[in-house]
Amino acid sequence: MSSLSKSPWIFHYDASSCNGCDIEVLACLTPIYDVERFGIVNTGNPKHADIFLITGSVNEQNKEVIQNLYNQMADPKVVVAVGICATSGGIFAECYNVMGGADKIVPVDVYVPGCAARPEAIIDGVVRALGVLEEKRKRIKEIAAGQVTATIERASLDDAEKILELQKIAYRSEAELYNDFSIEPLTQSLDEIKADFATRTFLKAVIDGNIVGAVRGYMKGTACRIERLFVAPGSQNQGIGTRLMREIEATFPESETYDLFTGNRSKRNIFLVKKLNYKISRTEKVNKRVERVYLQKAGQNRG
Amino acid sequence: MSMNLVLISALYVILAPFLGGILAGVDRIITARMQGRVGPPVLQPFYDVLKLMQKETLVVRKSQNLYILFFLIFIIFTGALFFAGGDLLLFIFALTLAGIFFVLAAYKASSPYSFIGAERELIQMMSYEPIVLLSAVGMYMVTKSFYVCDIVSFHTSLISYMPGIFLAFLYVLTIKFRKSPFDLSMSHHAHQELVKGITTEFSGRALAMIEIAHWYENIFLLGFVYLFFAGNPVLGVVLTLCIYFFEILIDNTFARAKWQLTLNSSWAISGVLGLVNIIALSYVLK
Amino acid sequence: MNLLVLLIVVPLISGLLMLVSPGNGVRNFLVRVASMLLIALSVLLLIPGAAPGLFSLADIHSEHINQGMFIAEMGIALYILYACIRNRKIIATVLILLQAGLLAYFELKYGHGITVARNLFIDPLSVVMAQIIGIIGSLICIYAVGYMKDFHEHHAEVKDKRNFFFFVLFVFLGAMFGVVFANNLLWLYFFWEITTLCSFLLIGYKGDEVSVNNAFRALWMNLLGGLGFAAGIVYLYLGSAHTVELDQLLLLGKTATLLPAVLLPAVLITFAGMAKAAQMPFSSWLLGAMVAPTPVSALLHSSTMVKAGVYIAIRLAPVLQGTSAGFMIAVIGGLTFMIGSFITISQSDAKKVLAYSTVANLGLIILCAGIGTYEAVWAGILLIIFHAISKCLLFLCVGVVDNKSGSRDIEDMDTLIINMPKVAVMMLIGMAGMFLAPFGMLISKWAVLRAIVDASPVLAILIVFGSAATLFFWVKWMGKLITVIEPRHDLEDTVSSNEWVPLVLLTVATIGVCGLFPLVAAVFIDPYLMATYGHTTAMTQGNIIIMAIMLALVMLFPLSFLNYGKNVKVVDPYLGGANTNTANVFTGSAGALQTIGMRNYYMEWPFGEAKLSRLGIATTVVFLLIMLGAAILCL
Repeated sequence: MSSLSKSPWIFHYDASSCNGCDIEVLACLTPIYDVERFGIVNTGNPKHADIFLITGSVNEQNKEVIQNLYNQMADPKVVVAVGICATSGGIFAECYNVMGGADKIVPVDVYVPGCAARPEAIIDGVVRALGVLEEKRKRIKEIAAGQVTATIERASLDDAEKILELQKIAYRSEAELYNDFSIEPLTQSLDEIKADFATRTFLKAVIDGNIVGAVRGYMKGTACRIERLFVAPGSQNQGIGTRLMREIEATFPESETYDLFTGNRSKRNIFLVKKLNYKISRTEKVNKRVERVYLQKAGQNRG
Repeated sequence: MSMNLVLISALYVILAPFLGGILAGVDRIITARMQGRVGPPVLQPFYDVLKLMQKETLVVRKSQNLYILFFLIFIIFTGALFFAGGDLLLFIFALTLAGIFFVLAAYKASSPYSFIGAERELIQMMSYEPIVLLSAVGMYMVTKSFYVCDIVSFHTSLISYMPGIFLAFLYVLTIKFRKSPFDLSMSHHAHQELVKGITTEFSGRALAMIEIAHWYENIFLLGFVYLFFAGNPVLGVVLTLCIYFFEILIDNTFARAKWQLTLNSSWAISGVLGLVNIIALSYVLK
Repeated sequence: MNLLVLLIVVPLISGLLMLVSPGNGVRNFLVRVASMLLIALSVLLLIPGAAPGLFSLADIHSEHINQGMFIAEMGIALYILYACIRNRKIIATVLILLQAGLLAYFELKYGHGITVARNLFIDPLSVVMAQIIGIIGSLICIYAVGYMKDFHEHHAEVKDKRNFFFFVLFVFLGAMFGVVFANNLLWLYFFWEITTLCSFLLIGYKGDEVSVNNAFRALWMNLLGGLGFAAGIVYLYLGSAHTVELDQLLLLGKTATLLPAVLLPAVLITFAGMAKAAQMPFSSWLLGAMVAPTPVSALLHSSTMVKAGVYIAIRLAPVLQGTSAGFMIAVIGGLTFMIGSFITISQSDAKKVLAYSTVANLGLIILCAGIGTYEAVWAGILLIIFHAISKCLLFLCVGVVDNKSGSRDIEDMDTLIINMPKVAVMMLIGMAGMFLAPFGMLISKWAVLRAIVDASPVLAILIVFGSAATLFFWVKWMGKLITVIEPRHDLEDTVSSNEWVPLVLLTVATIGVCGLFPLVAAVFIDPYLMATYGHTTAMTQGNIIIMAIMLALVMLFPLSFLNYGKNVKVVDPYLGGANTNTANVFTGSAGALQTIGMRNYYMEWPFGEAKLSRLGIATTVVFLLIMLGAAILCL
């Protein structure tokens, strides 16, 4: 057992619970149950936590909160749905504003039944989560070591939501680089990206059923425009970006040139595409310090 | 600086994290027992840190963790300086420098919770700094040296000359050990108001570094406490550990104070006891 | 002509040229040339043999010069009197009448009988001061060229009197050289009064009511000090010492039996220095002086003119050493340091923060002078050097920020690290220089603490609380600079080279002087202390090495940015999960979008300005009275 499973830190979120399960979660910390015996700490901060404990059902008010909190947790992480409401929506499932259990929003790894869930059950759930955590850690290690190959396939409209979500996570880094959080990849809405599906071809990279990267492209005249190449932060440096690029080029074999652009500070992007024989065709000043760098590569069909 | 001192200093750099980690583990067990619980294994702090090392590192601003690295470096430097028998004033200044890197890291993270944690940490630093400096001044008045190596080899225990300063120092020691009632900036128990205060935005390796820095810090703080009892080494070590136990007891019996109380009470106590003690010393030693 | 005379006369003449220069271009050119010349001349002082060790003006008929000075002095008095009466300022009127009357009586009755062996002199302490005036002062003048252009663009309501402005600035520089080179106290007093006048004119530069009132406040407080100065000279000459020469005064102070003849004059002149150095209870004039354009604040009110006050106090330190009056001076300095630092916590206007911190640090130097031991003086001189450089850098940076962003409130300075990266880094270095190990001011504070525990440990109480407060207000400001919550606005591109050059040089100096401080101490401070006290102090080799290691480690910090952004994942700050697409906006109750705000603590309750000022003034007035009493009784 690695130290990971000896030190599971918990983050507890009360979605729309009646407080029944929450009382029981707190009961686990009391001297009778004393979960600190297993190194379990209730942190109250997603950034420190390994286990996301959700009580209560998901509704319109809290769905984004749950998504945000999940995104703000560091990998490897697991989600435990505590109580019947978090598992399926429970008796509130039919309510007009209730979407159902936590798994409507985030991938749930362990379900703890009960109304309210008993402390023993919660502790059991967390201990089971440790097993999942351990597996995820191994998988992440394998992925990081390049032992797992992503499959590249064409994305469909059903993937739009997941792609948008990943896009927003991946482009944070770019936004921080330029200190501009109003860049288009971050502000794009679901409807807009769905509209893009009508005009552009989307490719996605998938590992274990999860999307870890994507790119899109379309023909404009005789040139192929490639846009928004990104790879999930945990899966970078494994050639996924390069493979996505090759694949999207192959999707448009008829084009004479392949065009794309990036910011002058995004050295890694520029490095990646330069390795694929792209050359800087021109630059355009956005403001004093930021330039848009256009890169181009000749297609097979060219003259 | 003799070879011996260099050796002690090197030993500190190597052993302090282990000692500090075990001390933290013991602390958690004692705390649990005081609350009628069993508590985690004694090696739990090491599990926590090893786990953090394996986690992904999240940041809000990309440069924030660089400050944490320098916090750790300067904490180690400070402790090494102390155990090498260096100048006490320089030691205090180095400690301040380290603390400032920590605070700046939290400011850099640009998040409301880390911001308020940083401000509170600063208030804490402002609260404890006067008496720490006054302790050095008092020690100098008695031993005629600012060097730790001279102070530690002084023939009698300093506490008999400076009980007032020691009491005031004991009061602010609670701040330095990050114990209730003065755990304003990053309390484990304040997540309702602070989330995690100054450490909110740090995760993975950065959080592990913060934890290790605290282990280093706790060890040289105990070393500082020992200076007051150094006249009798055996009794000194025992008393120093008693003080640590006493701090755990205080931690478990007091609710968290507001910053006003923290600042005002620690300054009032430092001012009054420190002044009286120093005036008394200047007459006694004349 | 002699170098010392040149340094006094060159600024004066170039100032006059600026006054009559036909256009901005010509004048700006003149400013730059004159500044370079002054820097060159000051550096010449460092070369052994370039300036004579002691210098007499006997062959130039100092009689005529004395008469000229007397007439000029009366002219200044008349001008001040006119200004006072026109603005109906009663206190200042009374003070100028008293002062001018006393001096006129003295000069007319005894003036012919006074013989002076040396009118000007130079020693390592004067050289230190001359470097500060010559190099830092000139850099500020160059900076002012760029700054004043922006200033008048932004403040259309202020009448453009730049020719006059630079004229006063350069006359002031000349007078400052006079102050530090004068051995004849009557000369010193003359230059002293010119600096008061320049300060008065420059504070009132904007011409609005607040500026004029503040100018008069500065005037009457400095006139009160000046009155003390004049009384000190008169007493010195009419008493058993029977001299008007500074070196004679110091010589007499060395002999215990002769001390009574010189102690009261020394205390009175130090009193003038304390008023000039804005010690409590006189600190309010310096705060008011912040209405002046920033180069004025940097030049007069932090780097040079107020340093004249502490310079004279440090000069007289050997006389004050071990006396009760000296101890009281130290207490006042210590109280000013502590209370000044406390009040700074409650300030958010960057210039006021700098002003209060200046008052506090000058208090520390006055404390050193009051203690008067060689260790204390060693620390005091170090403080003068480091403070001048770092504080000047900070003032100039704040000036640039103020001009470019339109605000000098610290609360508006977040995101500065990306909006004005270079200026922000320079400010951070300046602040580190002000309070952080292993930089300059901290080295000095360390030395002060050592000096105090050897002399009077009780004063350590004032220092330790004061420096804890210092830590708080500097770090929260540093934190503000590096916090990033607003979107980027590039503000730095229009900063002119007139501003860049001084900023860069001062930044280099802040780090350089800190790295080279053992050298600085050996070249400037040790010879002075050896000559004055017969022994000197220093930091031990081991500690210097440790400081050097710390400096090296701190310097590594920028290097760590090579690792910037590697192996990290950028996420939003924790906002209870209610984040939106914009990093600093969250969804509040009922779905309303809220922007996060991060504001520093100002702690109005324990550290409020009004209450602490009153407390400070009340206590320091009491100590001032005790000081005078002790000096009269010669305890």
